[in-house]
Amino acid sequence: MKLSQTRSLTTDDVRRLFPIMLLIVLCAAFALTSSRFLQFNNLMIVAQQAVVLLVAALGMTFVIIAGSIDLSVGAIVALSALVAAVTAGSIGVFAVVPACIVGLLSGLINGVVVARGKVPSFIVTLGTMVVYRGVVLYFTRGAPISIEDESFLTVYSGRSLSVPHSVLIAIGVIAVTAVVLNLTVFGREVRAIGGGERIAFLTGIKVERVKIAVFGLVGLLCGLAGLLQAARSMAATAQLGEGLELDAIAAVVVGGTPLTGGVGSIQGTILGALIITILSNGMNIIGLDPYFQNIIKGLVLILSVFVTIDRKKIGIIK
Amino acid sequence: MQIVANTISRTFGSTRALVDVSVTLDGGAIHALVGENGAGKSTLLKILGGAERPDAGVMTIDGAPYAPASLGEAVAHGVGLVFQEITINTSLTVAENILVGQLRRFRRGGLLTERAMARRAQELLDSFSADISVNRPLASLDLGQWKCIEIARALSTRPRAIFFDESTAFLNHREVDVVLTAMRALKSQGLAVAFVSHHLAEVGAIADRLTILKDGHKVGDFEAGELDREEIQSRMVGRDMSKGIYPPRGERADGPAVLSLHGVGAGPRLAPLSLTVRQGEIVGVAGLKGAGGERLLEVVAGVERIRSGEIRIGSHTGAARSPAEGWQKGVAYLPGDRTAEGAIVGASVLDNLVMARPPRRGPWFDRRRAGELASNMIARLRIKTASVRAPMTSLSGGNLQKVVLGKCLAAEPRLLLLNNPTRGVDVGARLEIYRSLRESAAKGLAILLVSEDLNELIGLSDRILVMRAGTVTAEIEDPSRATEDALIRHMT
Repeated sequence: MKLSQTRSLTTDDVRRLFPIMLLIVLCAAFALTSSRFLQFNNLMIVAQQAVVLLVAALGMTFVIIAGSIDLSVGAIVALSALVAAVTAGSIGVFAVVPACIVGLLSGLINGVVVARGKVPSFIVTLGTMVVYRGVVLYFTRGAPISIEDESFLTVYSGRSLSVPHSVLIAIGVIAVTAVVLNLTVFGREVRAIGGGERIAFLTGIKVERVKIAVFGLVGLLCGLAGLLQAARSMAATAQLGEGLELDAIAAVVVGGTPLTGGVGSIQGTILGALIITILSNGMNIIGLDPYFQNIIKGLVLILSVFVTIDRKKIGIIK
Repeated sequence: MQIVANTISRTFGSTRALVDVSVTLDGGAIHALVGENGAGKSTLLKILGGAERPDAGVMTIDGAPYAPASLGEAVAHGVGLVFQEITINTSLTVAENILVGQLRRFRRGGLLTERAMARRAQELLDSFSADISVNRPLASLDLGQWKCIEIARALSTRPRAIFFDESTAFLNHREVDVVLTAMRALKSQGLAVAFVSHHLAEVGAIADRLTILKDGHKVGDFEAGELDREEIQSRMVGRDMSKGIYPPRGERADGPAVLSLHGVGAGPRLAPLSLTVRQGEIVGVAGLKGAGGERLLEVVAGVERIRSGEIRIGSHTGAARSPAEGWQKGVAYLPGDRTAEGAIVGASVLDNLVMARPPRRGPWFDRRRAGELASNMIARLRIKTASVRAPMTSLSGGNLQKVVLGKCLAAEPRLLLLNNPTRGVDVGARLEIYRSLRESAAKGLAILLVSEDLNELIGLSDRILVMRAGTVTAEIEDPSRATEDALIRHMT
């Protein structure tokens, strides 16, 4: 309030534009250090690397806007990858159906326990993260299951005109999630619940149903992400997607969506996922000590939130 | 003890909150600051109490310059501030809540000496005859007693002046009395007491002098009794209020029943009762907090389950099992706490206005129609907002409440449930709210109004039920001849 009109405008602008500026700065820095970074081939690798994280993070965006959290996304990705690997041998390309169904069901289970059981989503998904991963371990016994079906691999990890198919699929997911979040009544209900669950409930929004749908949506997207990950690594392993939940949350938050709920954007999450992927890719390309990279990633996360968080709108910083 | 503020000005962004306002506060007197929301009274009080700094103007205490840069510096000058919000921490004891700012003084060898704290806290409470024992658990005390604990906290720094910023806004009658009694006790000890309140009844009851503010300018200083309530309101709003603030009642409603309850009960807080609200009728419910009015609304709205009896809403038989079902049946519900239950403060005016029934085409949100709907509602309720998409945080309390009412009306309900619709709302916004409620009723809306403001019930209702401890104790057929005292007799 004490800032003059023009000054407060700039702070707002900085806050809003920080993710894109950070992305540009990172790209410029890596491009200047290594000539390989901006080559088409490397950019496609970056895009391909970003796909799994991006698809999961797009789902996470809905969960976080609704004021919840989902820690089980990595485990759902592993479970769906397993289903895709097992079914690809018999039904090939159509393995996408069981993979997505299993993802959807896993998410719906989370949603039902959170919404109907009134258990905090952090606890529920912390539990199901272990359970879903446990299911994968039980069936694989820790051994990888490889995928040999040619048609499956061509469709989900091949390239057309040197653009990876997975990137095209991710673009489709971006379009669909952006439309759902911004143009549908459902999207507004998700924001309303995150802005004030009690208020939304008293205003007649079917809070339980919307929350279950949100967890179902993130599960479905993780099903797809699991399939794409399995196709890319040509196998499903028990370790697949480990730590993905934290990267997905980080992508959403770096993109400027606060964990307090009620607000957030798809564009932000896209930027966040790209920043996290490019940071890893670039650090590898310029040959930074791999044992040092995590320190940088963590610091970038804190820096982004430090700049983008709107402190006026937060009562208690948790 | 005399505090003088001379030609104080304060600007927030493009809003001039105070323009050359001067006041003098004397020890041993109670000074009321009155005005509409946004008139500048809270800003003035906060400047006096060190919570805000003026852009221009000077203040003195007994002739010595007084320019506090913080609450702490004001305290050092002997000035204490009691806020509107409840600032009691329920996980601490009464004594800890009172002495929370000076726990260091009660250390012995690094540990707190609880007995010394309890003694000091009890002294502070007794100093203004607050009938509270420090050994009582906080949960057993009411909000008025909590306010007294906050007063004791302000007194713990031995102030010579104490200011109350709408401290009674969230309290009911009995609790307000407790606080007013405490303020009189402070005055008799020679403290300079100043307070901001929307309740002119409180102002009339205890103020020795009052300053009226409007749009950041001082209208004038007046002695107690110099103006009657209507004259004060006229000067606050800047128009003639002698006709009263309540719109005239229409014809007696004898249309079909919109809501009928037959022996509806919901646990010990709501004994079985029967009630009919007709089309176009405003039925008021009086009672202390917890007397059952709020519970009644929750049952009809579908927030609480009924345990016995039958509810009919229009032609549907059966209670709503959730608020969603209630809204579907045409029941709009305006809850008592507008920021925790009514409006999403982080969203825009439009988001809130269309939340209950978003205009849609299949699954799609219809932006164009939503914009029209919101603009219409803003015009209809005269909501003061920079734009349809302005954030709710930019609105004053009264306008925020108008948005919550707009959200209810936008759903085109047949029955509107209101829980204290004008709590903490200034006269100007009240007028708009009353006018639009009467207009909606004239068009056939049935309204069930629960309020702690007895004047509002008497002025607005076509019929009043009085409740005590979950049962109906009286039904008043002609509120225009009812008095506050008569209602209170049935309430207590």
